[in-house]
Amino acid sequence: MFKFVSGFCAAAADTPNMERHCTSVTRTPLNSVRVQRRSKSKSYRQSIRSCLGAASRLVLTPALTARRLNTSRKAPKSLDITEKVNPEQLSLLVKKEWQLSYVTPLYQFRHTQLKSYSRQLSAFIAAEKQRGLAVEVEGTHGSFRVSFGVVQGMSEADDDAETVLVQIYSKPLFAVKDEPPRAVWSGWLTCINGSPDYLRSLPKDFTCMPLFCSSGADGLSSLVKSWFQLTFDCCFGPLEISHTSLQWLVALWTNCHTESAIKHLKMMWTVPAASPLKVTYTVNGPDAWQLWSSVRKERHDGSNKEEEEEEDSIDIEEVMRFMQDLKSHFYRHFRTDLSAGSLDQVATALGSAKSSGRIKIANSKYMITTLTLLTECALLKMPI
Amino acid sequence: MGESVKTLLQRLVRRIPSEVLKTTLDKWGRLTAQQQRALDLTQPKWTLMENLWAICEENEWTLKRITELEMIYVIENPDQGMWYAYQLLDPEDDAHCVELIQFKELFRYHLRELVRHVSVKVKKHTDEAVWIRIAWGDSFSRPNHLKPTYVVHYLQTPYVFVTSLTSKHRPLLSQALVLSTRYQTLKDANLSGRKLTAIRDLLMRQYQQVFPTKCPSPLAEKNHPALKKEQDGNAANRRRMATEAFGDGTLPQLQTAVYKLETKFKDPTNRTMSDREEPFRCVVKFSSTNLLESLRDCASSGFASTPVTPLLSSISLKGKNYFVVTDNDPGALSQTRRPQN
Repeated sequence: MFKFVSGFCAAAADTPNMERHCTSVTRTPLNSVRVQRRSKSKSYRQSIRSCLGAASRLVLTPALTARRLNTSRKAPKSLDITEKVNPEQLSLLVKKEWQLSYVTPLYQFRHTQLKSYSRQLSAFIAAEKQRGLAVEVEGTHGSFRVSFGVVQGMSEADDDAETVLVQIYSKPLFAVKDEPPRAVWSGWLTCINGSPDYLRSLPKDFTCMPLFCSSGADGLSSLVKSWFQLTFDCCFGPLEISHTSLQWLVALWTNCHTESAIKHLKMMWTVPAASPLKVTYTVNGPDAWQLWSSVRKERHDGSNKEEEEEEDSIDIEEVMRFMQDLKSHFYRHFRTDLSAGSLDQVATALGSAKSSGRIKIANSKYMITTLTLLTECALLKMPI
Repeated sequence: MGESVKTLLQRLVRRIPSEVLKTTLDKWGRLTAQQQRALDLTQPKWTLMENLWAICEENEWTLKRITELEMIYVIENPDQGMWYAYQLLDPEDDAHCVELIQFKELFRYHLRELVRHVSVKVKKHTDEAVWIRIAWGDSFSRPNHLKPTYVVHYLQTPYVFVTSLTSKHRPLLSQALVLSTRYQTLKDANLSGRKLTAIRDLLMRQYQQVFPTKCPSPLAEKNHPALKKEQDGNAANRRRMATEAFGDGTLPQLQTAVYKLETKFKDPTNRTMSDREEPFRCVVKFSSTNLLESLRDCASSGFASTPVTPLLSSISLKGKNYFVVTDNDPGALSQTRRPQN
């Protein structure tokens, strides 16, 4: 482990994101020194933050922007996740479009206290309603009931915290007898194959579930985030899916074609012009697969890697080559370079992803790979 | 009978925005001056409907009258729904002599021969367009006035524009049109859009076209980097080529262009794909609020290399926005190599 750097260091680089979204952030210092928590004075907070900023540099690569996505990752294999995870819970997560956010580690979050959290959040929402912050959901009465649950078995790594699912129910205006209640809002926090280095570097009382997915009224999303921020001293921020991540998804999903047909590979670009031009480029599934496998073959022909290793891992260069080939085919016909535009959306039968930070997982078999990538993206946004 | 009149009237009142309703009713001219004065168009729609229905009963309007009103509304506001362009082919000798009266009579006659129960309304509009409203029935049911097809035909041109036509009725309409216009076939012109005026202007060349003043430089075809830079760096040149490809001034408002590509994947560095016999099947769709202007912009600014590829310039030059591209198409693929990243 590393030593805590005493004294107040020069201010660490505060990401603009932090300032904008945080209402209160405190950090307990690292394990060897115990400091009174709960001191909310700004200068104290800032100085602690700056210390930790310096200290963390000892462990991880320095500034936020220097850290990058893994340049190589394991090829997704069909994983029958239903063996490990409750199918009913799984059905709540798939085939739905989620809005992504990142969230900093939660202080003193206990997986054993979920019932209490359910009550607390219900009370919080009711209280906010009293204050006038009404969140109306169509076709329902005003009162909300919250339920926290654990989705066990999703993460494979030991360092990953168990996924937590939050659902908000509301009494429908026209209740049908015996109809099972449907959630008007749901969200989940998860960490799938998070970097063990980072996770182990966190102080004991922190739980890291950096990926937050929400679906439902924006008002309720804000309320839930506010409650988490107040209760666990964490910070939420929007998680956009970068150009690189979208390209990874294109390659990872196409790679699955032999096991689960992707049907088609759809990519949407926006090219700048006075009235923006949208280009939707849809490649037939089997043809996309052929191109992808030819790219992989070209890479591995004449390389000295082990056979098995070749099969299992995908390099960023292959992803780039695949995308470049697709763009070249386009250029040959239209003499327009798609690199001049921005990639907004990718979709296959396995799922869809939008650069604005929306994801839909259609097939649970490849969920883990997608979530691993997204967890990585979320971890990159961590201020320390 | 009363029920269907009421339903149609209700649909119309709901569909027509209040601002437009006044002008439409005025054009229709079926309300007495007193009734017109009494009608308060600032009222909520359901009140309006009640009042109109009262007037309707008072005037004893039939279904025919109400469909008149609908037709006026559609003719004055044609840029709604999806319009599809068709072209008549292989004219008989007397095709260009077909006059309005002759066309009207023949069309009604032939359609009635094909469909037992059909309601046809033909109206000549000011700009040489003949508008046809068709409510389809069949051997067992009366015409359905809630889902009419509208057809616009410009007499003495081979062009026909259609909206709200089901695949079931298409062959019937096709047959009736062909027989009444003295052509042999009707084919899909592969042009569609939300604005009738736009696709009409595009197909019938009613916008400012710019013809090339000189042939594109043959040197531009070779991938000579210095020369290519000069070409692309020359903004005025790009603008000129962009206008040649798409047109000048205000362009017809097309929303989409779809290319179904069935060409082989060509890349000398990728042996596997080059050896492949099958085409690399994909579909490319371009969309924008004004597609032609966006494309012209892209060409002027250099995002799309100039000279503009025939695939894109075909939209304006051929008046189409749906293309199937195969390896046999001349000019389908440019000779230049892919851009280096």
